[in-house]
Amino acid sequence: MKELSRRGFLKKGIAGAGIVAISPSLLATSAATGEENNIIYRTLGRTGLKVPLISFGVMRSDNSSLCKAAFDKGITFFDTAHGYQGGNNETMLGNLFKDFKRDSFLLATKVKPVTDKEGKPNDQTSPEKFLEMFNLSLSRLQMDYVDILYVHDVRSPELLEYKPLLKVVTNLKKQGKIRFLGFSTHANEATVIDAAADMKDWDVILTQYNYRLAYLNDLNAAIKKAAAAGIGIVAMKTMAGGWLDRERTKPVNTTAALKWVLSNPDVHTTIPGMTSFDQLEKNLPLLSDITFSDTEKNELIASLSDPGLICSGCRQCLDSCPHSLPVPDLMRAYMYAYGYASPSMAKDLLVDLGISNNPCTECDLCSVNCSRNFNVKDKIADISRLVNVSSDFLA
Amino acid sequence: MLMKKRLLTGLLLVIISGFTFSQEIVFPELEGFKKITKYPVFVPDNLWDFINGAADTYLSLGFVDLHVAEYKKGKDVIKLEIYKHRDHTLAFGIYASERSPSYRFLKLGSQGYIVDGTINFFKGNYYVKIRTFSTKPKTLQAEESLARRVEGILAGETEMPILLSRFPEDGKMPNEETFVNESVLGHQFLNNAFKATYKSGNDSFSIYLMQSATSDETLKTAKTYLAVGRTEPDPMENRYIFTDGYNGTIFLAWKENLMVIISGLAKDQAGIAEKYSSEILK
Repeated sequence: MKELSRRGFLKKGIAGAGIVAISPSLLATSAATGEENNIIYRTLGRTGLKVPLISFGVMRSDNSSLCKAAFDKGITFFDTAHGYQGGNNETMLGNLFKDFKRDSFLLATKVKPVTDKEGKPNDQTSPEKFLEMFNLSLSRLQMDYVDILYVHDVRSPELLEYKPLLKVVTNLKKQGKIRFLGFSTHANEATVIDAAADMKDWDVILTQYNYRLAYLNDLNAAIKKAAAAGIGIVAMKTMAGGWLDRERTKPVNTTAALKWVLSNPDVHTTIPGMTSFDQLEKNLPLLSDITFSDTEKNELIASLSDPGLICSGCRQCLDSCPHSLPVPDLMRAYMYAYGYASPSMAKDLLVDLGISNNPCTECDLCSVNCSRNFNVKDKIADISRLVNVSSDFLA
Repeated sequence: MLMKKRLLTGLLLVIISGFTFSQEIVFPELEGFKKITKYPVFVPDNLWDFINGAADTYLSLGFVDLHVAEYKKGKDVIKLEIYKHRDHTLAFGIYASERSPSYRFLKLGSQGYIVDGTINFFKGNYYVKIRTFSTKPKTLQAEESLARRVEGILAGETEMPILLSRFPEDGKMPNEETFVNESVLGHQFLNNAFKATYKSGNDSFSIYLMQSATSDETLKTAKTYLAVGRTEPDPMENRYIFTDGYNGTIFLAWKENLMVIISGLAKDQAGIAEKYSSEILK
């Protein structure tokens, strides 16, 4: 320090050598073991992999110190994708794990094949390109193999059964470049999970799963069937967006939301995204204790009655409107205007829907039964005013 | 008439308070290719439907909307995606998060690059991604031509964010600068930092530069971070070394509304930290 002037870096931590901060629980440098920390593991279906209840959705993190801290505390399963941060996410993990014993952690990545809008294979679907992308992922990760390769964003059974792609991924498995094959799904989940359960090819499914989904009955049934068939189930988007409103004034109780997910024994692990040490600290207790208290349950139940701004898309309203209005689309227009501050987008949608004036004037009472308890009539009356506003005034 | 317009304006103020004016996207034509614009405009609520988990990074960097078009000629497809973000810095943030220094860089908008059938660039509040899986030279030429046309139709700055110019060139790794919108170094109280990576001999270290609205805000943030290192701030000092339990040795310095954090250097490398901090804060 002698080279520094008075204006230089003179101040140290109070212990001189620099005292370490905030969270002593995160300071252990040796990898944690389940036995030491009472970590609860579940078996990921027929893969036989033992996974902690909390794994790490790395997608938004660019901080290898955070991943290392998670590993040190027993979070040993990391989830990334070919496309996250243009590949930089895989590169960061590769640089972190290159000096680790390969069997000390589990790593999953995802590669998305080109499909049509419905997620079905088309003439642009190229297994060769898929293979090229996967090999690039391996090279970024600096690994000889990944534990799980997910085909990314499967929303149609046709893609699951697409033989040219199945041939490529089966070969990768034979070559030892992937240990297990899976797919991720964020739309039409129940249908594709149900279809996968009838096939022998898929070892693991990464699915959207949270307490606010409108189609939970179908999804739960599909997950149960898949788990019974020996498929490992990994849950994502478990925190339901983290907020109940667009203004981010009403947070979801994320701990309770994770406990709700893990209360389903057919879900083997979760991959909450973490970008800060605070979030990591908050999730760590769930590695060893997922006791779901009545208070937490009640909080989730109460939050279900908060309609927020987002239509869940359950479509149960469609049959109850005597004028057959496209209520979900109208609720989306309302969200565009008030949630996203884009009245021009809202107006475009209203025009596309053929709305010219308030279509609800003929009904004194609204018979629409909304699962989110939206006051549909009021919202439609409000938003439909936009169609008479000149586009010149709208942004 | 005037009264009617005022009433209308009043109504709009109620409905659209806080709205910003946006540029209409009119996709350019590309000779020999059929333009397909069947995609919806993606907004924060449905971006997941289009790019899945990658959406979260875009959302954290002020994503506003996404316009998509395809250009088709036979089996060759060029896909164009125009992402709008809240401001130029955030557009840089999403662009920089996906670039790699190994790419071939172009003067396109503020900056762009080309790699394996992909051309990405940013300009103003827009981040543009163009991609083809075709390897035909004519299609790749058409893709470049499309990139130039899109650059021409988009409004906005063609410079890099101004704060980046404060990073000293000496030892800086080219094209590795990024913008971290939240949880800098994993700390929720540290936000909105430009980051540059440096090499000095065999050592590699990172410099984070944060600009607050006021010097009081900078001081408050600095004190919060010093508390992490259990370091008592001295009113006469604006340069500190301390240990952050998660990130190791930290050099922290500030002046007015600018703050510099250096991570990756050892305690005995304070001279290097001093040199860079002084140059940035001069």
